Amino acid sequence: MAGAGAKLFTSGSVLTADQVNTFLMDQSIMRFTSTTTRDAAFGGAGEPTLAEGMFAYTTDTNTLWLYNGSSWVNLLGSDIGEQALSNRNVIINGAMQVAQRGTSVAGITTGAGLAYNTADRWGFYPTTMGTWTNTVETDAPTGSGLRNSFKVLCTTADASPAAGDNLQVGYRLEGQNIQQFCKGTASAKQFALSFWVKSNVTTGTYVITLSDIDNNRLVSGTYTITASATWEKKTLIFAADTTGAFDNNNELSLLIRFGLGAGSNTSSGTLRTAWTAAVAADEFVGQTNVAAAINNYWQITGVQLEVGSVATPFEFEDIGVTLAKCQRYYQRTTGARNFATTVAQTSTDAYGLVPLPVSMRVPPTSVDTNTLRAFDLVNAATSISAVTLDGSVSSETYAAVKIVTTGMTAFRTYFVIENGAGSYLGFGAEL
Amino acid sequence: MFYYLDIENTNGDIQRHILHPLADGGVMSFPLTDDNPNKAAYDAWVAKGNTATEWLPEA
Repeated sequence: MAGAGAKLFTSGSVLTADQVNTFLMDQSIMRFTSTTTRDAAFGGAGEPTLAEGMFAYTTDTNTLWLYNGSSWVNLLGSDIGEQALSNRNVIINGAMQVAQRGTSVAGITTGAGLAYNTADRWGFYPTTMGTWTNTVETDAPTGSGLRNSFKVLCTTADASPAAGDNLQVGYRLEGQNIQQFCKGTASAKQFALSFWVKSNVTTGTYVITLSDIDNNRLVSGTYTITASATWEKKTLIFAADTTGAFDNNNELSLLIRFGLGAGSNTSSGTLRTAWTAAVAADEFVGQTNVAAAINNYWQITGVQLEVGSVATPFEFEDIGVTLAKCQRYYQRTTGARNFATTVAQTSTDAYGLVPLPVSMRVPPTSVDTNTLRAFDLVNAATSISAVTLDGSVSSETYAAVKIVTTGMTAFRTYFVIENGAGSYLGFGAEL
Repeated sequence: MFYYLDIENTNGDIQRHILHPLADGGVMSFPLTDDNPNKAAYDAWVAKGNTATEWLPEA
């Protein structure tokens, strides 16, 4: 008699073998068909009383529960046995440990396509909505084990956003890294998003929107910040979606946007707490305006997105693993004496191949440089005015570059070397 | 602010590149192709009535 539930035994009760095999054995971890039958089994006349430390298992969702003295707590998430014990977090650099581009950039007014300023993988997207500084701060919730956070600080306010203005922090996920959500199937899973947040803006509501880029669908959730300048842990559970599967490829499939401000074009519709066809006006309904005043800020760390209805503790990761994951999208070499070796084709340009230590998502789509020089071991080094990508022959494992300078001799080898502490050569393959 | 630079690829084609000065003094560049994810920022800038000028070597 599986799932017999709970029974109150009283003085003089006759204990049968069936009751031992069911109630007693089951009451070590009581089994119920659902939370409804579980909750109906306690507290009434002739029923046992709930006590702290009791366990229950509900067979409809394969969920293990612990009674903590006041409520049943889902211990391990739903569908026990199907949830990953490691690599649960599909967010890369959720602890803001990697910042290859640097830890502080000021004067930011635009984000589209150029959104990555400091913490790797974390984009900042203002659209004519103030001026901002992005930093990686050595500030994190005490006792959490986290040490860094990503901060956006308003340096020019926009208290009255125009219709098309908006402001978000965004995170982009590759389709083949999120297949475990089984989106678009009968087995679709919920999305559990957890993070620590801190801001001086405690009025109003913050909106987070998940956008399925492959199928043009979205879902949103909200949170509030209770205390100013205080780290608060937030958990949002987004619905499963049986419509629209994520493409299993290396392109953008899921976009997570943390709203910080929105004009009417993206806030005049209806907040969608269940997945629905994407409509711009529904994206950030009710979003508060962090850009309302100079020195307003918003700060985040410990970001985790995982399968299921329960947010598990933040999954810490070896820094080498996190760095390599980040380098799939962007990798920068700094401070080296020799960044690349090239051969001059003419007096003004030279061609070279740069090996990439981590295979990138796609052949690099951008290159960024600072204060590099070309040097032939004989003549004085000359400043490089530009480095460009030759996309026709680059691959995921090496970048083909052309350097532009002056005074070179055709067919001679030129080393690309530094010109000070700030020199770097970086390649991007961002989503 | 964006600039452009036309460079001959190894296959002999002329490819236009877009260059964007960065806040730290560096420069980002990308080939101006339709599938380049960085093109959106350039397009948005052009849509505001701006025009890229040629990137010239430093004097």
